[in-house]
Amino acid sequence: MGGKCPHRNVKKRRYSHKTARRTKFELKGDDMVYAQLNKPDEERAPLPLDEDLPGMGQYYCLHCDRYFSNVAVRDEHFKTKRHKKRIKQMMGPAPHTQLDADVAAGMGMPDNGPKLMSM
Amino acid sequence: MRLEKCWFCSSTVYPGHGIQFVRNDAKIFRFCRSKCHKNFKMKRNPRKVKWTKAYRRVHGKDMTQDSTFEFERKRNRPERYDRNLAENVLKAIPKIDKIRVTREERHHKNRMKGKKEKLLKEAVKELEQGISLVKAPSVLQQDPSLTLPKIKVKVSQQQSEENHAMEE
Repeated sequence: MGGKCPHRNVKKRRYSHKTARRTKFELKGDDMVYAQLNKPDEERAPLPLDEDLPGMGQYYCLHCDRYFSNVAVRDEHFKTKRHKKRIKQMMGPAPHTQLDADVAAGMGMPDNGPKLMSM
Repeated sequence: MRLEKCWFCSSTVYPGHGIQFVRNDAKIFRFCRSKCHKNFKMKRNPRKVKWTKAYRRVHGKDMTQDSTFEFERKRNRPERYDRNLAENVLKAIPKIDKIRVTREERHHKNRMKGKKEKLLKEAVKELEQGISLVKAPSVLQQDPSLTLPKIKVKVSQQQSEENHAMEE
């Protein structure tokens, strides 16, 4: 008796908690965050009201893609080291895209043809 | 069928090969091998991994600006078929490829231009630092006749080698 069960892996148990699942599956990619940050202020739509999100979805950190329940908690989050690291990362060079891969492989810029006149 | 480029290492992905990841916002990431796919899942930046084309382009190890790159591009607008044009294009493709290969070789040669001198300098430095491994310092000091001719011989060797390099 007392043998080790062959199916219970520590690694699986370690990576199945909430934070790890969120980091892996739900967070926005770096290029999406980068695109949102570089959008001019006029095009940024106000955050929609959503009862399923904490704080009706109004207290949002774009860099870290997180929602907070009120202003105080969000401002507290802005002081964290992780958030500052994220800001520094987003201030850096643009993330890698398929276009960068194509150009590095020796292809020119895409040819979108002549611009069609608007209807 | 279309030949795509790997998102990570920029090599060509032929039909029936590789794997493709479509994200929630419908952005497509294509990978040529599980090696690239694993690196992507580990969130590595292709510009910082030395065996990728993106790294080589950023660090100047590959040719980056050339007119032959403009011939190969993704065309998002279909062209009307023209038989003569198609024949001319098919005829021109090997010629363009040859030109590109020639230019890449020239770029590589230019990049390696100062390598011989660098190697020679390194060899001289290593010889000066490592001569004590061949002869003990006390032996070199005790027997001055061994020291002077060796120095002369080294100098002449260096000069002749330098002349040889310059002649090349």
